[in-house]
Amino acid sequence: MADARRAAKNLAMLMRPPSSQPQNTRLWLAPYVAIGVFALAMLVLTALLQWRELDTARSALEGDMHWAERTIENRLHAHQDFLAELGRDQEFKQLTYEAFQVRAARYAREAPEIQAIIWVDTDGKVEWVAPNESTAVFVGEQLSGERLAALQEALRIRRQVVSPDYRDATQRPAHDVIHPVQRGSGDLGAFIALQSLETLLRTTLPTVFTTRYSLTVVDAQNREVLSNTSVKPTDRQISGQISLELPNNRLGLNIVAYRAGGAWLPYVPVTLILVLTLIATVTLIQLRRHAKHRAATEEELRAAYAFRQAMSQSLITGLRAIDLEGRITFVNAAFCRMTGYDEQELVGIKPPYPYWPPEEFDRLQHNIDTALAGQAPSSGFEMRIMRKSGERFDVRLYFSPLIGTDGQQIGWMASMNDITEPKRVRVELERAHERFVTVIDGLDSAVHVADVQTGEILFANRAFQNIFGFDSVGKDSAQITAACRPADEWLQHDPTKLSADELPCELFDGELQHSLSGHWYHLHERAIRWVDGRTVRVQIGADITDRKHIDEVNLQQQKRLEQTSRLITMGEMASSLAHELNQPLSAIANYCAGCVKRMQAGNYKLEDLLAAMQKASDQAERAGKIIRRMRDMVKKGDPNRQPIALEELVDETRAFADIDAQRTGTQIIVDLPEHLPKIVVDRIMIEQVLLNLFKNGIEAMTDVPVERRQLTLQAQRVDERMLEITVADQGHGLAEEDIEKIFTPFYTTKAEGMGIGLAICRSIIEFHQGRLWVAPRREGGTTFHFTVPIEEIGEESD
Amino acid sequence: MNKLTQTIYVVDDDEVMRDSMTWLLEGEGYAVACFDSADSFLAFRRDDMRGCLILDVRMPEMSGLELHEKLDGLGSQLPVIFVTGHGDVPMAVSALQRGACDFIEKPFHNEDLLSRIVRALELDSQLSARRQRNGAISHRLDQLTQREREVMKLVVAGKLNKQIADELDISMKTVEAHRARVMEKMGVRTLAELVKAVMTVN
Repeated sequence: MADARRAAKNLAMLMRPPSSQPQNTRLWLAPYVAIGVFALAMLVLTALLQWRELDTARSALEGDMHWAERTIENRLHAHQDFLAELGRDQEFKQLTYEAFQVRAARYAREAPEIQAIIWVDTDGKVEWVAPNESTAVFVGEQLSGERLAALQEALRIRRQVVSPDYRDATQRPAHDVIHPVQRGSGDLGAFIALQSLETLLRTTLPTVFTTRYSLTVVDAQNREVLSNTSVKPTDRQISGQISLELPNNRLGLNIVAYRAGGAWLPYVPVTLILVLTLIATVTLIQLRRHAKHRAATEEELRAAYAFRQAMSQSLITGLRAIDLEGRITFVNAAFCRMTGYDEQELVGIKPPYPYWPPEEFDRLQHNIDTALAGQAPSSGFEMRIMRKSGERFDVRLYFSPLIGTDGQQIGWMASMNDITEPKRVRVELERAHERFVTVIDGLDSAVHVADVQTGEILFANRAFQNIFGFDSVGKDSAQITAACRPADEWLQHDPTKLSADELPCELFDGELQHSLSGHWYHLHERAIRWVDGRTVRVQIGADITDRKHIDEVNLQQQKRLEQTSRLITMGEMASSLAHELNQPLSAIANYCAGCVKRMQAGNYKLEDLLAAMQKASDQAERAGKIIRRMRDMVKKGDPNRQPIALEELVDETRAFADIDAQRTGTQIIVDLPEHLPKIVVDRIMIEQVLLNLFKNGIEAMTDVPVERRQLTLQAQRVDERMLEITVADQGHGLAEEDIEKIFTPFYTTKAEGMGIGLAICRSIIEFHQGRLWVAPRREGGTTFHFTVPIEEIGEESD
Repeated sequence: MNKLTQTIYVVDDDEVMRDSMTWLLEGEGYAVACFDSADSFLAFRRDDMRGCLILDVRMPEMSGLELHEKLDGLGSQLPVIFVTGHGDVPMAVSALQRGACDFIEKPFHNEDLLSRIVRALELDSQLSARRQRNGAISHRLDQLTQREREVMKLVVAGKLNKQIADELDISMKTVEAHRARVMEKMGVRTLAELVKAVMTVN
């Protein structure tokens, strides 16, 4: 949880522009100046402190020095006083050797610097030594050198003298404090205290003093006599000099204060400050270098961000980041644009997301579960999602792991592409292709496309494959279609030599018979430019076998029609004759009526009446001529009777009647018993009668439901001479009065009838010694019956 | 009286039929004019013809039916009697449905023809009288101004003067004045008469 939050924050920081820093070139100097000033101040402060410390140390030194001077002088004065006390006692002979031993030994014990106190005579010969265990000098020892000179000097000037320093038996600096003793004007000798300088200093000055200061004793010639330390202070800043005014021996005491921590100590702060300053400066430079580097990086980052921002804005792919629990952590502009939701509305929510359409819920939940389990397919999910407006659209969603800055996976990045348009285009294309294939495959015509150079069949529709085999695509067209292929010399052009400019180009258009199946095809072949640019032959072959057959049948029917036309013409002629007769008859009636009217009125001229009557008689003559002409014509159509099988006759008639029957959906049922004798009739006349009855029956049934439209033809032998043929329809039937009249010429129940069909039919049948009559059917409809003569064995045709 | 002003026009391609028809009809005292073809009749035809037309259905070039249609198109109100041969009955029926006056089938009885002629001439007289009356009313209507015609339409529609004033956005007084002038110009005294006159024309 916390990780996820941190990851989201990282991501948010990644996605946000870095804040820009002010670029002031002067400002970077400020830290350096500050460091310089600080270092200077520290140095000054240190110097001040040191100076003060030095000052303090110097005043302490002076105090100590004066104290030491006084202490040493007091000590020396004490020694001189003791010697003077001994001298006085000696002068006045009050001192015995024993007393001297006691007093001197006691004194020497208290003042350790006094190695020995001796009594020498004026010549420098040691007479007494106290304490007697002293090893510094022995009784009887003769002083010599400087010591003797100093003794003689003291004797001469009668005052205490301190000898120059000499090295004692242990090679330590020592000097003699000589106190001459005189009695009167004669010298007695002198008391000498052998004083060790080193011990003097050690005993008079406390250890604190000696540890703090370096003491050096120098003689009058400023030669170093003694030093309390072998380490020579190098720094002599804090030092002083005490002059020990010893009689005849000026001893100087150089005091140098030891510096705590040694000579280098004062330099430590300075060095530290300098080093720190250096470090600070170096660090600053490094910092500045780092800052510069960082600024450059930020600049790059900003540019990269701006680039990415522009990319993200212009991107049409929607981006969405989710954490490991499916919570949305980021969406880009395109994603918002696609879904119609704001960034604020999307970020932070868990599935189900608001852009899931309710009907797709289960599938999308399954998708997101799969994706969170890391099993999203690399091809992405294709899904349907919903805009805020409720509009649905199709997208493809690709998932990829989202890795945080620490290398840990912090979620999933999903890119979403709107595939509505591509999908629509694809579906559209598929549909178009499907339509194309359906149309092409639905064609009766065999269509195929073959390369003109290789003869390879590139495309073939189903009709083609039905004829030439289902594996024909890819094979050689010449082989596949060998059975039905126009010879090369029949082609209008040689397709292999056509240039691109000449396309498309007609190659062949003609009819060919398939040499194996016997089917006829109308082949139409063109050279066109194929989709990949090469020249191909497109051949469309339509199976015209049926049409050819129909053409042949039609031709036969045409011949039959010509045969029957004679009778049809007769019928028309009858109508025209009737019209022609109308004219003279009407005219006669008019003339006669006009005459009658005039004569009744009595208002007439005889010539007029005569002329009218003459005209009437002319018209009567004209009518007679017309009637004669009709008789002549009927005479001309002499029937030609021949024995013929009824089946044959019916079949031929049906060929005509079927046209009407199929048009109206009427079923013609021919129900003839076997072994019928042949009938002796004029075939064309009886066919006409049958056709007439068929047509009447078909027309009579146009008003009844299709399933009832059945016309039945039956036949039965009546006796040895006649055969009865029955045509029964299931039509509207006939009214009683119509049954009487329908055979009357010019009577019709039909809107477009002439009213002579049945009259002629009856004439024809009667002409054949038969009868034609009609009867209503009980179950509805009408039955026409007619009889025709049958072939009699041995009968001679008339 | 009709016989004097009305003429029977016979159109038939058969000369004998024309001649015999003329003989018959003149015997009855009618004025007869014969034409051998539809075109010749059309050339002769005028709008104020009175009488009736006896038309043979079967004629070469333009048939009787076609001539009838043409006359209809020209606005002729001359009653037409078709003469048909046998088998032309369906044709004649359709002609009747299109407004022909009558038909007679050949061969016909002369009394049948004459009775049909009498009926046709009576129809012609009525039509002619109405034409004259309508002509008078139309003439009066033409004299109305546009505004008067508007007022009249609303008056005939049964609107009150106040409604008319509202509808035409004029004052009541003006409506009353227009109304009085309409009555005067149309030569009627009552609203009922005005309505009748307007309805006769329309």
